[in-house]
Amino acid sequence: MSIIVDENTRLLVQGITGREGNFHTRTMLEYGSTVVAGVTPGKGGQDVVFDVNGKQLSVPVFNTVREARDITGCNATLIFVPAQFTPAGVYEAADAGIPVIMTISEHTPVHEMMKCYHVARQKGLRLFGPNSFGIISPGKCKAGFMPHKYYMPGPVGIMSRSATNCYETVMMMSACGIGQSTCIGVGGDMIPGSAFVDLLPCFQADPETKAIVLIGEIGGSEEETAARYIKNSVTKPMVALIAGKNAPKGKNMGHAGAIVGADGTGSAESKEKALAAAGVHLAESSGHIVEILKTLKL
Amino acid sequence: MKLLEYQAQAILGKYGVPTQKAVLIDSKEGAAEKIAAANLDFPVAIKAQVQTGGRGKAGGVRFAESAEEAAGLCGEMLGMDIRGFTARELLVAEKAGIAAEWYVSIMLDRDSKAPLLIFSPVGGMDIEEAARINPAGIARVPIDPLRGLQDYAVGYAMDKTGADKQYRDQLQDVAGKLYRLFFDYYTMLVEINPLIIDASGRLTALDAKIEIDDSALPFLPDISGYRDRLQEDPQVTEARKAGCLFIPVEDSGNIGIMSNGSGMLMSCIDLVSKKGMKVHAAIDLGGGATSQRIAEALRIMLGRPKVGTVFICVFGGITRCDEVARGAVVALGKSGAAGKHLILRMEGTNKDAAMRIIAESGLPVTVTEGIPNSVEAVYKISQRQGIG
Repeated sequence: MSIIVDENTRLLVQGITGREGNFHTRTMLEYGSTVVAGVTPGKGGQDVVFDVNGKQLSVPVFNTVREARDITGCNATLIFVPAQFTPAGVYEAADAGIPVIMTISEHTPVHEMMKCYHVARQKGLRLFGPNSFGIISPGKCKAGFMPHKYYMPGPVGIMSRSATNCYETVMMMSACGIGQSTCIGVGGDMIPGSAFVDLLPCFQADPETKAIVLIGEIGGSEEETAARYIKNSVTKPMVALIAGKNAPKGKNMGHAGAIVGADGTGSAESKEKALAAAGVHLAESSGHIVEILKTLKL
Repeated sequence: MKLLEYQAQAILGKYGVPTQKAVLIDSKEGAAEKIAAANLDFPVAIKAQVQTGGRGKAGGVRFAESAEEAAGLCGEMLGMDIRGFTARELLVAEKAGIAAEWYVSIMLDRDSKAPLLIFSPVGGMDIEEAARINPAGIARVPIDPLRGLQDYAVGYAMDKTGADKQYRDQLQDVAGKLYRLFFDYYTMLVEINPLIIDASGRLTALDAKIEIDDSALPFLPDISGYRDRLQEDPQVTEARKAGCLFIPVEDSGNIGIMSNGSGMLMSCIDLVSKKGMKVHAAIDLGGGATSQRIAEALRIMLGRPKVGTVFICVFGGITRCDEVARGAVVALGKSGAAGKHLILRMEGTNKDAAMRIIAESGLPVTVTEGIPNSVEAVYKISQRQGIG
């Protein structure tokens, strides 16, 4: 097993004829993911042909998500469209009842994602991102743009607000022979479609996941919320890294969500304190995460 | 982005929220004529337009009984320093007869993932301080963004705080306008403090704050012009124009750090700081940076006199390492490192090509593998510099 995406995932790519959508669809096909359809309004009826490891694979393009779902039975979608079109893409996927909706682009206004969050919630769908690298269950399905050669199947579930910190950790884990069950890009924005606390029950229930790594950072209170849940409901060992301990107060650090208030709200200390009190191992770096995982004898 | 008071007042005015009659003064020349022509009732308040709180205590708010006196004060106040910001513009506004001071705002609340209506019938002071003194005097009501602000939410806030009910219709009207503005202008915060009840019983915005989500600025053409009037580090502006984010960290530091991701950037700052070094500034290159953007960012970083050592740490997913290497070569080739040291750590897409580019350039760049080794190299080199 694994969570959210696996060998049964039938992917839709919204924006498949765009530069990014097209490029990353090919890398997902190369990885062995099942991409069953693409959507680009006005380009329905075409096939996009990909040269994958010497074979020609064609993916049908539809005008709407609903049509793509009716004909191909897609059960997850990746939205590879520019920031200003992302909310409309989410609404369309939600109205078509796609159960897993992943948004990639950065710089979508937070007000729009706030509405998307509530729409997904009311419909009982899972929304990921924005500003997320996607989700990968190594060996089964790559849904996103992560550099997949660093990943290998294994017992550790990872959820991360940062793409780069997740890549770094995965590279070091794999180099030591520690693989991953599923890696999820929670995203770097202020209102993530799915927060750590929404994913913990999935990792806890997944028999393949033996340990959980949480890569958080300054800003907001999702780590504290997760800590409260962990304390009562997570029995698997957990390791956490919080980035931004030495970030200046009141300054945005690149991710829209990574900011410590002038009054100290959203600080790394508060998050580390809450996680430590919930029994989570705290790591100082990606390398330290791996050192701790080694001691867990997974 | 935080707007200045007069910019916020202009937007409130657009939505029909009553504001004080006022005139903006930005030079001594013609100030008297401008004030006279504005036909204001005296006394007036003269308020420095700066992006910082507590301007009153810093001498940024003064009062005048006549146009001549106001013009004289404008002459004194223009150009004054208020907590590190220069008063380049002054708002001369009628000094209201105040029957009561309230507080109302709508903020985007990360915790409830919803707009939050905050109201208090005790306004005029900092809301955090007010909350500390009398928590029961403040109502915080989360609003479902799919249904919008309903009148009962305002009624609830007034009941909870014991506000005078005769102003209920007016407050509902003001709150409704703020709520529309909140979404139209993508504001993280729209705050009226104080919202006064004037001598005639009318709710009026005396001071206002608006903070806009930076991600929304491309969609707000009438606001983007305001950005040019901000007072910020020139490198921050330069970097933004180049498509990256310059973050001043610690003025006394001598290390510059650059990365292609916010998370890795913060991790590098943490690890370098943990080793006892001080980071002067950091640059988030963003995803998929071209060699041109990298070169520009590096030029900006090397241009900071206090930066002696620059550490570039890249894990290329969308970002290609060869672009990073090409950018570094361009930046160093043009200006030379001028006694500064560059430590380059690259992993991911097109790493091999990047290594070749650096090796062939013959430039004085220390190429490292892995973050722990890189931080060690930064330490050794910066120590040497400290001694030299």
